[in-house]
Amino acid sequence: MNRILSVLVLLSGVLFLFTGVQWLVVPADVAPQFGLTLDGGRGLSSQIGDMSGFFLTLGLCALLGLTLKQRVWYYPAILLLSLTALGRCLAWLVHDAAFAVDLIAPEVLISILYGFAARRLTDK
Amino acid sequence: MKFLAVFPLLAVSSAVVLATEDMTSAVLSSLALDDSRRPNIVLILADDLGFTDLASYGSEIQTPSLDALAAQGVRFSNYHSAANCAPARAMLLTGVDSHLAGVPNIPELLAPEQRAAATHYRGVLGHNVVTVATLLEGAGYRTYMAGKWHLGMAPEQRPIARGFQRTVAMMDSGADNWEQRPYLPLYDRANWFADGERFNLPEDFYSSEFLVDKMMAFIDADARQGAPFFAYLPFMAVHMPVQAPQEFIDHYEGAYLQGWDRLRKQRRERAAALGIIPDDVAMVRMATTDDWDALSPDDKAYQAKRMAVYAGMVEAMDAHIGRLIEFLKARGDYDNTLFIFTSDNGSEASGPADPRGFVAGIGTRRMGYSVAMDGLGLKGSFGTISPSFASASASPLAFYKFYAGEGGMRVPLIIAGAGVAAKDTITPAFAWVTDIAPTILSYAGVSAPASRYAGREVEPITGRSLRPLAASEVGSVYGANDAVGYELTGHGVLFQGDYKLVVNQGPLGDGQWRLFNIAEDPGEMIDLAATEPQQFQTMLNGYQSYILQNKVMPLPAGYTQMGQLLRNVVRKELGDMPLVLLFTALLLLPFAVIYKLNRKGSL
Repeated sequence: MNRILSVLVLLSGVLFLFTGVQWLVVPADVAPQFGLTLDGGRGLSSQIGDMSGFFLTLGLCALLGLTLKQRVWYYPAILLLSLTALGRCLAWLVHDAAFAVDLIAPEVLISILYGFAARRLTDK
Repeated sequence: MKFLAVFPLLAVSSAVVLATEDMTSAVLSSLALDDSRRPNIVLILADDLGFTDLASYGSEIQTPSLDALAAQGVRFSNYHSAANCAPARAMLLTGVDSHLAGVPNIPELLAPEQRAAATHYRGVLGHNVVTVATLLEGAGYRTYMAGKWHLGMAPEQRPIARGFQRTVAMMDSGADNWEQRPYLPLYDRANWFADGERFNLPEDFYSSEFLVDKMMAFIDADARQGAPFFAYLPFMAVHMPVQAPQEFIDHYEGAYLQGWDRLRKQRRERAAALGIIPDDVAMVRMATTDDWDALSPDDKAYQAKRMAVYAGMVEAMDAHIGRLIEFLKARGDYDNTLFIFTSDNGSEASGPADPRGFVAGIGTRRMGYSVAMDGLGLKGSFGTISPSFASASASPLAFYKFYAGEGGMRVPLIIAGAGVAAKDTITPAFAWVTDIAPTILSYAGVSAPASRYAGREVEPITGRSLRPLAASEVGSVYGANDAVGYELTGHGVLFQGDYKLVVNQGPLGDGQWRLFNIAEDPGEMIDLAATEPQQFQTMLNGYQSYILQNKVMPLPAGYTQMGQLLRNVVRKELGDMPLVLLFTALLLLPFAVIYKLNRKGSL
């Protein structure tokens, strides 16, 4: 069970890192996957900076939690993912955004996964 | 004394100088006077519009603005353009063959080895040709462009550097019609430029409306109101993604539930009744045309909706052309304006048979587009028509865009307005896309350059003015023995009199040369190669001459259009992928080290 959990955390962490690097290197390729059109000027700076920072933090936290076996590293990742999912729901309810279930579902599931990992894969 | 002797010479010289200045003033004055008579010229280009997509060519689509122009001018029923976009635009604007002009194909379909082998195989307009805008600008015209350019994006290739004084230009092969968004993964972004600089589209953007608004603003805002203008308006309609405002789509709700075969027949009948084609033209049923009756009711409704969106996009374009015409009338410019309307090539059949399928939908899903029936045509959707409806759009012709069949090359052409004597006339005379530039120059009273322009060698215009046809002075501007050639990725054509020698390559063509009489048989059904071998051989020889004269290069081994497009997409996609993987691996490296140390118990 713990081995499966470790593999899932590892895969998700690598995927987040990969996405973060994509935002840094090929933002135009990755933007459509999030329903985004690349802006210019300060907007583009925010898109690349925020998105790459978000995904790199997620990936690094997951992998640090996995390798150092310290649960504290999972908390930022859980917070980032769950608050993002919450934000998406509020965007749908309050701001007429699309209900992006294909994005919300993985965020919720991976938050839960990291919650389990924080309990089962850590020493302290 | 010597001074006195020289004096008469000085006096004569001064008199000559004064006389010359007077003459210059006189010429300038006459030009200024002529400005009230020189016509404004509006060149409107649709994108991927099929031969029978206008009501005045046999369509059920409502196109009252263009039909009104047709009623006041000449419709060409035997006008041909290139089989795809950029080569057509290069020829349209320069009057020179696409190969010589540097655009033998769109850059998206060129192989790297083609680009490397020759400077005229890069898909950008060369500086060895002069655009009609440059020539008109030099003659005192105000020159504007609003729409799709697709002839090069580098600073020296932009329309602002090719004779257009005010521009808003979309530089790619296409883009979203509702927002600034690329439609192919080949592009990092939708590349819009205004007056030569990158430009962000407004929030309330819809392509046809926006382009006409821009053109009207250009015309209105120019301080040189006394000078005539040349307005080039290359619409994005009806290139994919096929998108239209809901109110236009609604006009065609349920209109296509009878299917593509019925529509193709209806259009043939209407075109024949209008006199666009001969009666009872035989027509092929393309191998890519599906069996409508085999579709489920839901699938029929979906396919009909796709075509309704297409029709809505055509009608929206027409409505905005109508706005431009009303604007010109309100300004008092209309009566002195020449209108030329045409399409860059025939109807587009690159849309999948059913874009909702898993494989067919990979591309659009990856781009974040919806192909669902609800909302099709609106913002966020990716509309196309299938090859089946594309064939109906080209009725009664064979093939479509990217092929050298008549369906890919024969398109509507309307010339109307100032200086066009013929009213509500249809001419069956052969005309070719390189004829448009010399036609415009003829109406403007501007000479075409021979072999030099502005101190550099240039390719001379090979097209012929269609003005005598529009004036009903002649039956044709080409003689029975005049040959016009064309090549695109191994598809080859030679027009001569009523004959057309043609070869279409795969996947739909079989690579066999055929000979047709396209005056009697525009559907290209009766191959005359065996029955008229002398004509066939003469035209084969003529095609070889065309290849040599226009520097047509052989195709790379194994080249196919779709294969090359996919290779270019993959190359572009993978171009940065090693870098992404490298950075990711670098980030992972410390974790691998920590993991190793953990295993050894060092941590």
